[in-house]
Parts: sequence; C-alpha cells; structure tokens
Amino acid sequence: MYLFRRAILGAAIAATLSCSALWSQEVSSDMLLHPRTDSWPLYHGDYSGKRHSSLTQITPQNVRNLTLAWAFQTNQPALIKSAPVLANGILYFSVPDHIWAVDARTGRQVWQHTEAPKKALHIGSRGVALYKENLYYLTPDAHLECLDARNGNVKWEVQVADASKGQWASMSPLIVGNHVMVGASGDFDNLQGFVRSIDADTGVTQWQWDATSPVGTPHKTTGGNAWITGTYDPQLNLVYWGTGNPTPVLNGKVRPGDNLYTCSIVALNPETGKLVWAFQPSPHDTHDWDAVEIPVLVDGNFHGKPYKMLMQASRNGYFFVLDRTNGKSLLTTNYGPVNWTSGIDKDGRPIPNPAKEPAPDGRLIAPDEGGMTNYRSPSFDPATGLFIVSAAPSYSLYFAKPADGTYGWAGADYGLWSKGVLEAIDYQTGKIRWSHELGEGAAGSGVLTTASGLLFTGNSSGTFLALDSKSGKTLWHAYSGSSINGGPETYEIDGKQYVLMTSGGVVFSWRLPETATAHPATARAAR
Amino acid sequence: MPTAYGQGASAAAKPVFGAQGPLPAHKVYTAAEIEDGGSLFQQHCAFCHGRDAGGGESGPDLTRSKLVTGDKNGNDIGAVIRTGRMEKGMPKFALADAEVVHLIAFIHSQQDKAMSQTGDRKGVDVSDLQTGNVEAGKKYFNGAGTCSKCHSPTGDLAGVASRYEGLKLEQQMLAPRDTKARVSVTVHNGSAVTGKLAFQDEFTIALIDDDGRYRSWSKDKVTYKVDAPAEAHVELFDKYTDDDIHNLMAYIQTLR
Repeated sequence: MYLFRRAILGAAIAATLSCSALWSQEVSSDMLLHPRTDSWPLYHGDYSGKRHSSLTQITPQNVRNLTLAWAFQTNQPALIKSAPVLANGILYFSVPDHIWAVDARTGRQVWQHTEAPKKALHIGSRGVALYKENLYYLTPDAHLECLDARNGNVKWEVQVADASKGQWASMSPLIVGNHVMVGASGDFDNLQGFVRSIDADTGVTQWQWDATSPVGTPHKTTGGNAWITGTYDPQLNLVYWGTGNPTPVLNGKVRPGDNLYTCSIVALNPETGKLVWAFQPSPHDTHDWDAVEIPVLVDGNFHGKPYKMLMQASRNGYFFVLDRTNGKSLLTTNYGPVNWTSGIDKDGRPIPNPAKEPAPDGRLIAPDEGGMTNYRSPSFDPATGLFIVSAAPSYSLYFAKPADGTYGWAGADYGLWSKGVLEAIDYQTGKIRWSHELGEGAAGSGVLTTASGLLFTGNSSGTFLALDSKSGKTLWHAYSGSSINGGPETYEIDGKQYVLMTSGGVVFSWRLPETATAHPATARAAR
Repeated sequence: MPTAYGQGASAAAKPVFGAQGPLPAHKVYTAAEIEDGGSLFQQHCAFCHGRDAGGGESGPDLTRSKLVTGDKNGNDIGAVIRTGRMEKGMPKFALADAEVVHLIAFIHSQQDKAMSQTGDRKGVDVSDLQTGNVEAGKKYFNGAGTCSKCHSPTGDLAGVASRYEGLKLEQQMLAPRDTKARVSVTVHNGSAVTGKLAFQDEFTIALIDDDGRYRSWSKDKVTYKVDAPAEAHVELFDKYTDDDIHNLMAYIQTLR
C-alpha cells in the first residue's frame, strides 16, 4: 500500500470532530433508506435508481437565471465519471487513484487522498459509497478500500478480483445494511463475473453470487461482470443487478445457448446472495452489449393495474419493463434502430439472429458496440410517466474469424456512425413521446429530473442543458469547456437548491442568484 | 469510432520481411523500455486498443496502423498520445516524456510481432473482404443503392481503390470521413456567407469562410442551410443487406 497525502486540512477537521461527540456524521442505514434533500448519499441518489428529485426551488420559469455557485478543479487529466455522494454538507467523489472530499456549500477542498498508480486499467472510477463514517472505494486493480470519511485515511483493504489475471474495477459499491456489494470489470480474458457482498465493518466476504460457471467448464460461457451499481427494494428485500457480456466476446461458437447469466438482470437476496429471478435482455450476446444499465425501480400502474416495476434501457437497443416481484416481462420495445434480432420471444426477450453474429467478411450491426446507451444514468419522471435516456443511435461493422481465436475479444468491430438523442419513452406503450437531438457521436451525460418539471443533462459537445421534462424544450444551457461524462445531481443546503454537474476534471455547482429569489415574479414561480 | 490511421503495411520500409510483409523501420528500443511501455499501455490504452494493441473496445488495431508503420522516431505516435484525437473519442494523456517513449516502444514492438506472425493474422485483412460479386455490386451502385446519384466511377471515384484498400476502403464507402459539409448563412441584412461547416449545435452555427476565417452566429439570429452530402450515407444504413455491402465492396475495389 503506497499512499501519498496532500490533505492537511482533513487532519485538522478530523481532530476537531473527534472532540465533538454530539455532532455525529455517521450515515445510517435509515439515511440511505430515506435520503434527505440535503444529501445524495447513494450512487443513484436513492435506492430506486430513478434519479428524480423532489426539490422545486429551481423551476422551468426561473431556470434561465441559473448561475455558478462554485467550480471545483481536480487539476487531473482524468475525466470525472464519478457520481459524487453527499452527506453532512460534504461531497465525496473519485477518479482512478484519487478521492476528494469537498464542501458542498463552497466547493472548497476538505481533503484529497492520492494513491500511487495501480497496475490495472484506468478507464474511470464511478465513485465511492458512504456508510457510517466510512467511504468504500474500488481501486483500478479491484481492491475494496474502506476509508475514514473525516480524512481519507485507509482503514482496511481487501482484494475483490485478481487484477493480474485481467479483471479491474470502476464501480461505486452498493451499500445495503452492513453489506458492501461489489463487482469487477473486464472482458479481455475469459473470467467469471460475480456480485460479492463484503462486511462493511470487517472486510470479510459474506457471500458471492457467480454469474457464470467456473473458468474451464466445457462449452460454458465465462463473463457476466457486474460493473454498474445495482438498485434495492427494501420491501421485497431484493437487490437488482445487471450483468455484463459473455466471453469470448465476439465469438459465440464455443459457448452455445443463452449463456446464462450474462447480459442479464438478476434479483438477489441481499442477506444470502441467492438468485430469486433472472431476465436476460441479450441471450447469447456476440456484440458486447452488457445489460448492466441501471435497473430503475418504479411503483405505479401498468395498463390500469398497479405493479412494482423494473425498467431498463439496455445497451442492446431495447427498453424493458418487468414485474420486479418475479422478473416477468410487461413490455419490450426498441428505442432506436436495431437490426440484430429476428423477433421477440414469448417471455419478452429479443431473439438474436444468427446471421448477425460477427463474421470474417463483416456484418453491419445497429447499435454499435458502445450500444444504444451505456453507463450514463437515465431518469424516471413520475409526473409525466417518462423514462428518459441519453441514447446513441449507431451503426458498426463486426468481424470474427478463426485466427481471432476463442479468448477475450476474439474478433474486431468498428463504429461507422452515431449520434446522441435524448429519448423520452412512455413506459406504458414504449412509444417515444419526445426526442431531443444531442449532436454527433454519443453524449456522455446522465439525466436528472425534478418535481418542478425540469430535466438536466448534457449534449455531445460538452454543453450542460436544462429542459422542460414535458416537452424536451431547452430552457437553459452553458458550455462546460470539456466532455461531460457524469450525471447531474441536486441537493438543498441553507434553503438553496444546487445542481451539480461534472465535465472534464471539473465539478460545477449551479444555483439561482441571491437577487433572483427576492424578485417578486421569480419568487412567485418558486412557490 | 472507426480507425483514422488506415490499414495495411508500409511499402517503404527497410528490406526485412516478417511473415506478413516488410517490417517497418523504426528506432531500436531496449527490452526494459518495451516492458515499461507495456505496463503503461495496460493502464491507459488497453481498454480501447486491446491489451496487445490489436484493437479493443472502440479503438483501432494499432498493429495495422499506417501512422505507427510510418513513425520512424516516435514523433507521430507521441503527438497523438499528448494531444489526443478528441473528435474521434481519444483523450490526451499527460505522461512524462520517458513514459511516452516507452509507450511508443511497446506499440512498435507489438506491430513488429504481429507482422512477424506466421499463419493467419488476427484482425481484418484485405483478403477477408473479397466475398462479394462485382456485377451485383455494380447493379446496386447504379440501382437500389442510389450511389450513382452523387458518385461516378470515372469521376470522383476514379482510382478510389488505389487510394484506400481493405477495411479503410469499406469504411470510406459506408461512412466517408473526408467529405466536409458546407453551410450558407444569411444574416438579417440579407447578405450571405458560405464556407465549410466548422461547428453546430442547437444554439450556434459556425463556419470557416473561403478566406479561412472562422465566423459564428446564434442560430436564432440568422437563417442557414447546411449541405452535408455524406448524410445520404446515413440514410442507407437501414436499407443495406450484408450482401449489398459485400457486393458493393467488390465493385468499388475494381475502381483502381
């Protein structure tokens, strides 16, 4: 363990805090179950993954007045892909090898924790998790670290996957009770994907659910890495995870059949890790279309009957609505051009067309390998019944031949064209109610909706956007100066609503100007 | 993103042959430099370009890169690492000079290794793309494909198969990269400005005029007309069959 410490301030604050027994900064399970509007204590803001806020100070009428409250510069070349978590007025976020604690009122750094570069892929860090007075962070080489939230000191670390074999990590862990749930990334090797639960206090493994058979099982697939944070239903006591693609990636011949449980949505018991049900968006995938996109949990009516639903806009181009009590399909529809299926089966699963598997002379495939969407979070707006996702209609060429082998990638694919479009999907019909063009190439921003009827996101050339969630019309914009790779968040402190957005290596926090809230017209709109 | 670097081996190289063709001439690197470069490559590059530099998620196969093949002293590869190719999705990397040299050493060693490999080579070879039928491709070009509406085998496409080959040619055929859109902007006094489209989003339109000057306008203050001939290729994506593409490729390859 090599640690470099730049934070001086953190130690001073920690010393102050330890004297103040009355002021506990512990994030309890109850705070995670019922997040307050002055916090964003989980990767998705709450356990449901809706990324919908009840805050209403910023409205469609006054959003044009939005002004910069502060900006925080990481001064690192790494792009921020992290979803900052917030509790007790302090934001915590990461890029590979770095974690920051930043004052959410001012944008001033509280501490920075920096580690020597880990010998594994540095494609991004999606953030840290909060529990009690601890942070949980996955290193690029797939170790779970428990850090003291007061100062960034590492309390303990355990290995989650053996990086020397080829897996790495980028995920923000999911905390449920005293379970820290994690997974790994990586499909350059034929390795087993899993979800593991680790004791939040001790670092001891509580259970592991394996997505696929052990490495070397004849004719069985490997892969199925869970690399995006899952969601949780406390009433049903189920955690929902998406799993990644099978390996070898583009050559499906050596792994016949559906390749369970790769490219699947799974419901697990958080106490035992036992599989309760599974639904597979991409049976026998040969295009790298992980089904790890956020399993969004929505309670509401479907065709007149109340349901506990799970919705996913999947990388393979299809939007799924499931009954999350049992995994049964309610709706399957594509939300952009797809050409790889020969229909939908009776269980709502797309049927892969064998003629569209990668071939020596190439196959034209829609969407491309990055998929119709990727790790960027969608949002569900209960007021409009819209599931809003940053989509990337796209076409590509997929190749595979015997010389590409049966290990890891085992083929080649080349994107031809793509563009970014925000798609607002009516979950009851699957129809797109409105679209908002985001520019050439895929846009990297997630989506946030608020109860005042606003939607925040970013376009593919780095401009932050606020839209009317009902119509998709632009109400406010600001160019960020770099590419946007994270999702907007919002919180309220001292009676002011802030909207947090990240771009390049900078965190921006926006709010209404002091004067605007005093202006009679705006004040009326704010009520 | 598609490769920007082209395919195939260099014609101008020192007379050393691997099993796959002449080995590119480049500076000699030590084993230690290559090893350190390999470690850096795994951290920063492997996700997109593959662990062996032979292509991965979204990044091109560097062992088939013309830029790598032609880079004798590391300047060209170094420039791409340092400045990135943001428009193609490649970020820039803030690495120490020695680290950049070591990465270059590793990339060259991987290309040499791929060029020396015996038997079939992984990745997309020109020979893989010969399954189409020339006559059927010509018919598609002049008929259902509507290619002949904009293109002519004796005009703009004359010799195209000598300028590109293999995967690069197929990519150009399906999604041409070097066709710049033009735009004509009419400002409120009625005067028009034309030039190459430099940028547009929902708020702004910008061009480089015929004198090379950059100009931009708020879209709500002007009227404008974009002429983007390459957009016709996008409209074809949901019309092609794979056979159409292979046949068209066979025909286009005759245009030498």
